Amino acid sequence: MKFRRIYILWGLTGIFLLGLALYPPLVGLQPYWILVGMTALFYAILASSWSLLAGYTGQFSFAHMAFMGLGTYAAGILIRDVGLKPWQATIGGILITGLVGLVIGYLCLRMRAVYLALFTIAFAEIFRLVVKAEVKFTGGPNGLEIPPYTIPDALQAVFRFFIPYWDANPYVPAYYFMAVLFFVSLLFMFMLVRSRFGIFFRAVREDEEAAAALGVHVVNTRVLAFVVSSMIAGFAGIVFHHFIGLIVPDQMQIGRMSLIIAMAVIGGSQNLIGAALGAIFIHFSLEWLQSIPLPVAVLQQLLFLEDIGFSVDLNAGVLRTNAWRMVGFGLLLMLTLRFWQNGLISPVLDWLARREAAETVAQRFQAERDMDAIDDVQAITNPAEAGNPSSSSEPAS
Amino acid sequence: MSQRNGTIRLEVRNVIKNFGGLQALKGVTLNIEGPQLVGLIGPNGAGKTTLTNIITGLLKPSQGQVWFNGKRIDTLRPYHIARLGIGRTFQVTRAFRRMTVLENMLAPGLVKHPYMSRKELEKRAYEIMEFLTIDHLRHEMGGNLSGGQQKLLELARLLMLEPDLIILDEPFAGVHPKLQRTIYDYIQRVREQGKAIILISHDMESIFTLSERLVVLNFGEIIADGPPEEVKNDPAVIEAYLGKEEEDEFI
Repeated sequence: MKFRRIYILWGLTGIFLLGLALYPPLVGLQPYWILVGMTALFYAILASSWSLLAGYTGQFSFAHMAFMGLGTYAAGILIRDVGLKPWQATIGGILITGLVGLVIGYLCLRMRAVYLALFTIAFAEIFRLVVKAEVKFTGGPNGLEIPPYTIPDALQAVFRFFIPYWDANPYVPAYYFMAVLFFVSLLFMFMLVRSRFGIFFRAVREDEEAAAALGVHVVNTRVLAFVVSSMIAGFAGIVFHHFIGLIVPDQMQIGRMSLIIAMAVIGGSQNLIGAALGAIFIHFSLEWLQSIPLPVAVLQQLLFLEDIGFSVDLNAGVLRTNAWRMVGFGLLLMLTLRFWQNGLISPVLDWLARREAAETVAQRFQAERDMDAIDDVQAITNPAEAGNPSSSSEPAS
Repeated sequence: MSQRNGTIRLEVRNVIKNFGGLQALKGVTLNIEGPQLVGLIGPNGAGKTTLTNIITGLLKPSQGQVWFNGKRIDTLRPYHIARLGIGRTFQVTRAFRRMTVLENMLAPGLVKHPYMSRKELEKRAYEIMEFLTIDHLRHEMGGNLSGGQQKLLELARLLMLEPDLIILDEPFAGVHPKLQRTIYDYIQRVREQGKAIILISHDMESIFTLSERLVVLNFGEIIADGPPEEVKNDPAVIEAYLGKEEEDEFI
């Protein structure tokens, strides 16, 4: 059987899923790193659902974090004021996010690139400021409490049976909930973009008029992408904050939104998986870069760095780069935008997934056909120069 | 493929289109009934593309109506008109650049047959791509194709929509002679399938050879309409459009 690159992709997927499942014991069940992993997955869901909107449908929205917050606030208020159970509020919050997404999606219909970006920035900022200013209803700058899910004992027992370290610390269940949500939402979006809607999304992104001339319902397509990606963002926000216990308006800052966009762009915004992996990779890098462990001997050589803002901790053997890591991240973003606009991860995935075997066969057939055509043309037009085929061969890309 | 064979009926009723102070169409009336190949010619700015855009819903007429198969279509949106069976190509090629050739083909295919299996749809796409000699490029991005290949892709894509009426806007412009022959074959094959075609072209030779009926548009008005031989010798056409004798052989 012939070796194909796709097998590498399947292998890597398997390793990744295994790593996803075994992450808590891999980091020694340390609460801090489990929280980092959980947050990375949260960002990954946001980045990939943003890429569904921006990368696939071409709607460059800055309101994604606002929708995440909207869902979470809606769920929190439904629990506090309506008295719903957390799981009921989760569904309610997702539906409310979808509804608002529908309205905003329709309002954005006629807007292209820059106008859409500005419109969504305005929406996101207004929403954040209203939430911040309105103290009674939303808790204002202090945030809104989101009570945790209550897991039935029977279900707990099942989890304990399969995951022996389930009770090691409260972050373990949270991590697994997030991991399942990550997997399910990615699978859902993956299936969506592989369906006819995925083709329509991209057709609309490429050329709305041409897509419409081929019968694609541009309005429905754009709004569908907006609603679905908003609902996924809302879902992720609700679940994440149920475990964190609190949402504050500053979670929806433009800066935070930009971070998500940068993660998706560096991973590859036209590829859901690329965007998700980009988010995971960058979140871990940023966490790790807060303090790089280095041997003391090396650190001693680097003492001059203290003059420009780094902190060198000789006793602990670490270099603290807290403030500076974002500079590196920004540079990476600039370099990606300048030199690798498809992102850093998605081209690799595309290369691995490309169907190369079928292509070579077809190319051979085409070459034969080209030769025949050249012979025909020359026989008719210029029998004297039949030996020079270069003049009439169409370059095949 | 088409269920309405023989009953294709396009009626453009006294259509006027104003762009600000400019009147691009001054009351155009055009009937196309049954499968036929109608050549639409006229100098630059005569209103050919405007008429196309009105028929396909990209523009709304300032006055007048357009009917297709007994249904008024000038109030409908482009996607709706496309689904009713009017397909078109654009003067400047508009392939979906960051989608593969096959995905380009699937977009209209999935519009027409949302629930057909992907395999069956791809099979249909391959047949059309093979005929237009672009099947070897099926996993290539639309934007990587040469200009001529993009033109072929657009023509191929159109057939996936299975339209009854096809409007081809300058299919021969900037195309290599070898590809030109492929497009010739394409037009003839589509015509044999019982579809109606409106062919807009500046390429006089091909339009006289292919058309069964020739419509000449000049300054937003139809100045001649009939069999190519008749139109060719129509003094109004010679004077208004073809100009003096020595200018006969232009582009």
